[in-house]
Amino acid sequence: MHRRLFLEGSLAAGAVSMGSFSALFSAKAMAEEVKRQGKKCILLWLCGAPSQFETWDPKPGTETAGPFASIPTVIPGVHVSELMPQCAGILDKLAIIRSMKTEPSEHFQGIDVLTRGDGPRPPFTRPILGSVVAQQLGQLDSPVPQFVLLDPCPEGNEFKSFKAGNWAGWLGAEYGPVRAGGEYSIPNILRPESITETDHADREALRAFLSRKFENDQASVAAAGYNAAFARVKGLMSCAPLFDIERLPDDDRRRYGPGAFAQHALLARNLIENGSTFVMVANGMPWDNHVFQHEMHQMLVPELDNVIYQLVSDLEQRGMLDDTLVIAMGEFGRTPWLNDARGRDHFATAWSMAMAGGGIRGGVVHGATDERGFDVASDPVDNRQLFATFFTALGIDPNAEYDLGDLPTFHRVEGNAEPITSLLTAG
Amino acid sequence: MPFTPMPPSSPNRVKDFKLPTAVLAAARINETELLAGCFDGVYRVNLEEQSLRKVGQHTSYVSSVAVLPQRGQYLSAGYDGMLHWYDLATDERVRSLTLHDFWSWDMAVSPDESLVASVTGQYLAGGYKYEPAPEREPSVRIVDVASGEMLHSLPHVPSVQAVAFSNDGQFVAAGNLMGEIRIWNARSGEQVATWTTPDFTSWGIIKSHCYLGGIFALRFTPDDSALLMCGMGPMHDPMAGNGKQLWQRWNWRADPPTKDDQTHEGDAGEGLMEALAVHPDGSWFAMGGRLRGGNLNVGMFGISDGAKVGSIKSGYRVTEILFAADGQKMILVGGQGQPDKDKDGRIADFGRIEVYDVA
Repeated sequence: MHRRLFLEGSLAAGAVSMGSFSALFSAKAMAEEVKRQGKKCILLWLCGAPSQFETWDPKPGTETAGPFASIPTVIPGVHVSELMPQCAGILDKLAIIRSMKTEPSEHFQGIDVLTRGDGPRPPFTRPILGSVVAQQLGQLDSPVPQFVLLDPCPEGNEFKSFKAGNWAGWLGAEYGPVRAGGEYSIPNILRPESITETDHADREALRAFLSRKFENDQASVAAAGYNAAFARVKGLMSCAPLFDIERLPDDDRRRYGPGAFAQHALLARNLIENGSTFVMVANGMPWDNHVFQHEMHQMLVPELDNVIYQLVSDLEQRGMLDDTLVIAMGEFGRTPWLNDARGRDHFATAWSMAMAGGGIRGGVVHGATDERGFDVASDPVDNRQLFATFFTALGIDPNAEYDLGDLPTFHRVEGNAEPITSLLTAG
Repeated sequence: MPFTPMPPSSPNRVKDFKLPTAVLAAARINETELLAGCFDGVYRVNLEEQSLRKVGQHTSYVSSVAVLPQRGQYLSAGYDGMLHWYDLATDERVRSLTLHDFWSWDMAVSPDESLVASVTGQYLAGGYKYEPAPEREPSVRIVDVASGEMLHSLPHVPSVQAVAFSNDGQFVAAGNLMGEIRIWNARSGEQVATWTTPDFTSWGIIKSHCYLGGIFALRFTPDDSALLMCGMGPMHDPMAGNGKQLWQRWNWRADPPTKDDQTHEGDAGEGLMEALAVHPDGSWFAMGGRLRGGNLNVGMFGISDGAKVGSIKSGYRVTEILFAADGQKMILVGGQGQPDKDKDGRIADFGRIEVYDVA
């Protein structure tokens, strides 16, 4: 195998397995395997990093509070920002971590750590959460993409320049996301009118035969990649309507709200309902409010509040919440202090995130910050513990070792990190 | 041509005073005393004695204050949507009124002290590209100062961030996030002018697809023929805060209103401008805000020709500019970045008041 292709993440999926997979043939593991079937995940990726003070961890009456008040929730004694009245009413279905404590305080590094679970170790590319979940829980033969990224603002974050390998890393390009959202539409998935359906099918059969033969005869990784890409496009052509926001019910669209993030969250629900395994909803990097912190959060937080409420309520109503993990987080939090541009700056020392469904226990607030939010006061959680919790909730072994041949040893979560059991329904 | 006095190009600072939290608004009580609206309440500040006394409180930031010497009262408005009246002699709070469900972004009192106007509005997503949603409550309130009666509730598009009375007290102007200005007859509530300037509003091409900026201060020129406004020029990345330090002067009586002048090329740097004040002699005005790039965060400009006549680099965000009654002194208020706590857990004072000699 060409080393460069491997390092860029172009390795075919079949060449990668987890060391623990041998255990799948034990009865217990099989049971677990069956149990985890059907688990899915929606990641509301709050890129830019939202303020914990204006969301999950308000500090009323202190110098760091900002201008917004706090409100009580259905959990006695627990308050959230007044900008989140709908989540306050369903906090018994949400789990909040108020004691996130991570290392990177710059975006790209923070994005890396909080989407992959660990820091970079060049030249190896650790797969992003969506790729791992798609590989572990998805169905590769499904025409519906297993990992979808909805982000209408590609200039807003590092994802614009990402190739499939940047996402899926050593898992292989087929576990990268199908990308859509806004003007970032899926190109060329409609059959040209000049080609009949029969002609199209015949051409595809011939192409598949020849390239599969070449792939087998030459043991060609490149041909395997092309075949996977063709299969994906073929699947996309059949499920293109799933990506069409205009086809979603008007009432649903009204409930979620008019903004791109809200509409794409609804689209995520639709994709999950119809066979996707992991949908990541982003909207550029709007939370990075170094200027106009309060002027921006007054708009962004109510939208997030409503999106979480609608998603959790819809999933519950459809009987899907227990199997669908909803995560809302960014790459870190914001400073307790305000800069002179009315902004809050990057802060990885003490921040918050939220989860619901999919094996996560509702009504739990894990950890705490000090009186003014300068530091974690109890139960700090780092990225490894967080990812161990995600994976365990989804029925994926967090400590399994990747089988990468002669390459260094990597685990799905490094350092034998343990999940936060108080957050798990099976804990 | 009559002689028009102008300020020194680099005025001397003659006083520097710190307050516990950032000052968002100020008003002059007399030659030595100021009223300051801060994150944590309303203060009376004695500039000669360098002393301060907390006299009022909102449940959120204080966004505006006004002194009514003829009535022997002062007012404060805040991000809690409240308007409070106080007795100037005793500092006792004598009346409170809920003006808005959301913030009072800005408040102004008519020159005859009979009317108070306040503007509000929460920016909420109203469309796929985050066009502002229609108002959920009237964006502009006009209140009778004597009785506290709500005289007019006027419509605008949120968020409405700046308000000003004309010098003759007949008109009230309000500007919003989208650069739309509406002017009403203050007594009748009849709208007499409306137009939009797109130059203060950013839609994030990179990083964030939403709107940011707008008009942050308004002032009528001394003869009320034109309206001055300030904010920050458009940015590709609204989070950068690096838009041009921008003022514009509009002939609002023209139909349609016309832009007569704006920040001259090379006369300003980058950063949000949120304070405007016209010198008592009417010959020049000052604009202040934040320095993001360039050499000034307070600029002084000729009111007739728009030429820059002076500047200050204060080192902190300026939120309000005042003049002494005789025009000899210019007072800047604002705030530095809020510092991290020190080893004792205390956050150092970060509100600022400075006095400059502009004679």
